[in-house]
Amino acid sequence: MEMISRISRGTKMDQIYISKDRHPDFEVGSYVAIAPVSRKKRINLFYCRIKQIEPIKSLIVREIFEFLSDAENVIITGSFLERGFEFNDIDLIVIDGTKKPIEKFISEKFGLEPHIISTTYESLRKGMNADPLFQMLLNKFISKKRIIFKMMPKINYKLLDINLLNSRLLIDNFDYLNGKEKYKMIRNIFAIKNFLEKKAITNENIDDDINAYFGKNTVDDSINNMLQKNKFIKKYKKLYNDIFNKIMRGIEQNAE
Amino acid sequence: MQNRNKIIDLFAANIATAVVHEILEEAIDDENLRKHYDKEFQNSFSIAKKYRENLNPIDRPLPTEDQDQIKDKIIAKVKNELSLRIKKGYNNVDLNKVESYTKKMLGKLKILQ
Repeated sequence: MEMISRISRGTKMDQIYISKDRHPDFEVGSYVAIAPVSRKKRINLFYCRIKQIEPIKSLIVREIFEFLSDAENVIITGSFLERGFEFNDIDLIVIDGTKKPIEKFISEKFGLEPHIISTTYESLRKGMNADPLFQMLLNKFISKKRIIFKMMPKINYKLLDINLLNSRLLIDNFDYLNGKEKYKMIRNIFAIKNFLEKKAITNENIDDDINAYFGKNTVDDSINNMLQKNKFIKKYKKLYNDIFNKIMRGIEQNAE
Repeated sequence: MQNRNKIIDLFAANIATAVVHEILEEAIDDENLRKHYDKEFQNSFSIAKKYRENLNPIDRPLPTEDQDQIKDKIIAKVKNELSLRIKKGYNNVDLNKVESYTKKMLGKLKILQ
C-alpha cells in the first residue's frame, strides 16, 4: 500500500498531511517509511485523425517515445493504430534520432516487430509530396511533437512505378495470398490512382473508391479473403494496366 | 508434376519482380526513400520464399536442369520488364546487373549452389 503526498512547510517542523479517509494500514500511531517520488516528465502525445486508441497502446507509445527521448520527433503509424489487436508489427518514423537499439527494445519489451524509417523532416516532406504510400502511412499517426504537413504534391513517375510493382503481386499470386495481403495490395493501387488524379489519400477515401470500383463489400471481402477470383482479377488487371500505362506515358513525357 | 511447374512459374515471377524492384530502386536518389522501398521489395522476396518451401529438395540446390530453367526464366522476365522501361526513357537502368542479381537471390534461396 502506498500513498503519495506533499511535504509542506511548518513553523518548527515540516509535515506531510494525509486524508482522514485512508486505508487502515495508515492509522494514527503506525510507523511509515517515506521516500521521495521521482518525478517523470509526462510525455504528451499528438494524435492525427485518431478518434480512439486502446489504453495499452498509449502506454506502449509513451514507452517508445521515452526510450527515444533524444530523437527530434517520433511518429507511430500503420495497423498498430487501427482498432483492436490484430497487428503484429509497428511502424515508426524516427526523425533525427540517435542510434539507440530501438528494434531490440520494441521486440524484447512488447513482442512486436518494428518497421523503422529513420529520416529527417526534409526527407519526410519530400516523401509526403512524392509518394502516395507515405501519404497513406501518415494518414493517421501519433507523434511526440506536433507536425503539420504542407502538401505540395509532385509526381515522380519512377517512384510510382516501383510502388505499383507491389500491387502486381496480387495478379500473380491471388490463390496464395491471405486476405490482409490482398487488401494491402488493393489499397496500394488505389493510393497510386488517387495520387495521379490529385485526390486525397485517406483510408476512408481509398476504401470508398475500392467499393465503388469493384462493387459493394469488396473491402470486407478482400480482408476476409472471400473475393471471387475471376470477376475480381479481370477488373483488377484492367485497373493495373491503365495505371501502368499512365505512369509509362509520364516517364516518356519527362524523358522528352 | 503440373503443380510443381506452377510453383516454379510463381516462384520465378516473384523473384523477377524482386530483381526488377531492386534494379529500379537504385535509380532513386534519396537514400532514405530507398530504405523505405527496400522494405517493400522484401514483399516479393518473402512470397518467393514461401514457394521455395514447396519445391523439393528444400535444403539443397535443385537439379541442374531446374536451376537453368528457373534462372533463364527470371532473367528473360526481368530483361523484358526493364527493356520496356528503357524504351520509355528510363535512365540508370543497368541490364548487365540482371544476371548477377538473379543469381544472388537464387543462391539465397538455395536454388543455385
